[in-house]
Amino acid sequence: MFSKKQDIQNTTDRLPDFSYINNSDIYMDTSCQSMRPQPVIDAITDYYQTYNACGSRVKYKWGQKVDSAVEATRELVISYLGLPQKEYVCSFTLNTTFGINLILNQLPAGDYEQVITSEIEHNSVFLPTIELAKRLGINRKVLERADDGSLIYTKADINKSVVVVNATSNIDGRLLLNIKQLIQDTHAAGGIVIIDAAQAAAHYQDLLFGCKADAFCFSAHKMYAASLGVIVIKKDLIRSLDKHFVGGGMVSAVREQGYDLLPDDLSSWLEPGLQAYGEIISLKRAIEWLSEIKPQGLKPAEYIHKISKQLYDGLSEIPGLTILNKQPSSVISVYSNSIDAHRLAIFLSAAGIMVRSGYFCCHYYLIEKLQLPPLLRISIGLHTTEDDINKTIKTLKKVLKA
Amino acid sequence: MFCIAAFIVLAIISIFSASHRKLAKKAWNCTLRRVTFRPCDTSFKEEAKSKLLSRVANKTPKLVKTADIGIEIASFALVIFTIWSLLVVMESGLNLFVWGTCNPNNASSCSLTAETCSIDKAQKGFWELASEGKPFDWFVNQAETLGNTIANIPARLQSWNASDYLPQNVTYYYAKDSAKPVALEIIDPGCRVCMQLFGNIKSAKFEDTYNLAYISYPIKSAYDDNKYKFPNSYTVTKYLEALKINPLSNQKVSPDWQILEKIFTGEDNKGVSYQVKINTQLNQTQTEDLIRSWLSDIGYNSDQIRQIDTDANSQKIADIIKQNKQIVDNKVKTVKIPTIIFNGQRHDGLVKVNDLHL
Repeated sequence: MFSKKQDIQNTTDRLPDFSYINNSDIYMDTSCQSMRPQPVIDAITDYYQTYNACGSRVKYKWGQKVDSAVEATRELVISYLGLPQKEYVCSFTLNTTFGINLILNQLPAGDYEQVITSEIEHNSVFLPTIELAKRLGINRKVLERADDGSLIYTKADINKSVVVVNATSNIDGRLLLNIKQLIQDTHAAGGIVIIDAAQAAAHYQDLLFGCKADAFCFSAHKMYAASLGVIVIKKDLIRSLDKHFVGGGMVSAVREQGYDLLPDDLSSWLEPGLQAYGEIISLKRAIEWLSEIKPQGLKPAEYIHKISKQLYDGLSEIPGLTILNKQPSSVISVYSNSIDAHRLAIFLSAAGIMVRSGYFCCHYYLIEKLQLPPLLRISIGLHTTEDDINKTIKTLKKVLKA
Repeated sequence: MFCIAAFIVLAIISIFSASHRKLAKKAWNCTLRRVTFRPCDTSFKEEAKSKLLSRVANKTPKLVKTADIGIEIASFALVIFTIWSLLVVMESGLNLFVWGTCNPNNASSCSLTAETCSIDKAQKGFWELASEGKPFDWFVNQAETLGNTIANIPARLQSWNASDYLPQNVTYYYAKDSAKPVALEIIDPGCRVCMQLFGNIKSAKFEDTYNLAYISYPIKSAYDDNKYKFPNSYTVTKYLEALKINPLSNQKVSPDWQILEKIFTGEDNKGVSYQVKINTQLNQTQTEDLIRSWLSDIGYNSDQIRQIDTDANSQKIADIIKQNKQIVDNKVKTVKIPTIIFNGQRHDGLVKVNDLHL
């Protein structure tokens, strides 16, 4: 199908940090988790091999090194989002879903009158907001998103509300373009905004940068680091939370019937128990790496935009394929009326192309509201080459004749 | 059908491959839904089918629909053949229990059975009957065979007493000793396995333990009612029966048994077994000549031999042979020759020396 020459070209085009990827493998499921560049793999390997220790509780040198690296990671993450260190803290957890649940399950009763979310949310937002409304006994609204991804709301919609929305859809990559206005309006109406930044953190940093939402939840494994959840949260909000998830590593004193949380380490308030130190350290290296690399001389976001457009244009030319996206994105979902998406995914897999099929945990929007068949989702990353995209489009064209 | 077919295939593979057991379990769940008339788990069905079709899709996508239909047809056929095979296995098992052979119409064709000369029945195959426009006859034949087998289950479980099946004119190997139990063997003089059984009987000195009687049963050809499986068996049987009504005094072993012993153990001057010679080299006249010569050796004079000739070709002997056949066909109901009844049991086919010590 492709000549040896093209394969060599493929290798040449790929960032050297992904040179370990076999040329016959085309991984296009970065919305689930991204490929890890070699420096990130080296960083976590270095932790395991040269200073494998617990953080926050030991005095020996490996532990001190871990503490130093973890603290540096927290600061780097807050800086990466363009937020002031004095107002925010960064905590680590399991993944985005866990982070959102951790916050919503500890929001106090009485402070909020409603919970707001949008129709295109992942179940990681959709379900916890249902549970929040039940727990606090407040109203829940599901608002629409405009074609450009902006949340459509009135001031009454967000009065004294907990707004939980994604910054980038994991279906069609729609961006929350009115994020800054939404935050401003919500704060003015006495509410808070929690942003699901899982799909935005890696490739749409510009959208998030400087947005003073009350909390951001995202996953390090979707931004080139090891598997880890990240919460960036306002100090005021973390102080207001009820504390239901408590344990080791977060207290200064424990009495028979009570305890004191570490007063000067707010990030620990969301981190009961031992943390994934190697993964945290890998996140620091991933953020550093994102600021260093220049694929084809472009910034990561520019490169992603370029190949997203190539993918979008290529898919648009395939007859019989319906694209959900209104514009190019690193996440593109499609479907064909003639072949089931799961079957298409298996056919592509036989050609070495790995894409997702199904509803991507967005059951409400895709099944209940749009009543769509299962979708095929192609999501790309910095490891993706132009040849990868060409081969994917060519193969998709071919198997759609089946 | 695909789910069921996949389960059959995966279940077999899973016997040898642990890695396929999870998939087989999925297929089983799907099969369970199908057999309880619920829709199959489409994710398993589609996933498995898509995997099978993926290579075709990437090479010749236009053939995918055809291959898809092909998979459904193959699945259907596989399920039908599997069910059919299971039924055949079950029926064969039942046959083995009742008749001692998995195929009562051709006992010697069953490798699970003891060596035997089968009483074959020519049954037309499905396609043969279909070509004659009578395909349903095949199902009727199968049903009849099965019904007959089921009807004979009680007979298999009964206690067998050889005395209940003795022919009208019975001779024992040695003169009857009322202190010994009776054993009855049903034989065809031309049957190689009967010759082997006779050898085992002699090795076990079975004839010393039992009052050993026999019924000579010339097996008919399955394809021609006027012919016999072994061409001269009927001729030999005629003479055996004639000898029973023309005994010779002062013989330790009755003359008919001596003739049988000659056939089963004797050889000509070229080292050819008499049984083989009678089966393959001699016509009816030559067989009669050979028997006459043996009768002379035993001690019959020429007048007696003429009388035996006359009796052998008489209607009376023909009727005796017919009655004996009825005992075998309708009372004993064996499909395997030799059959021997002793010690409360019926043994079909060759019996080992050790088993004759019972």
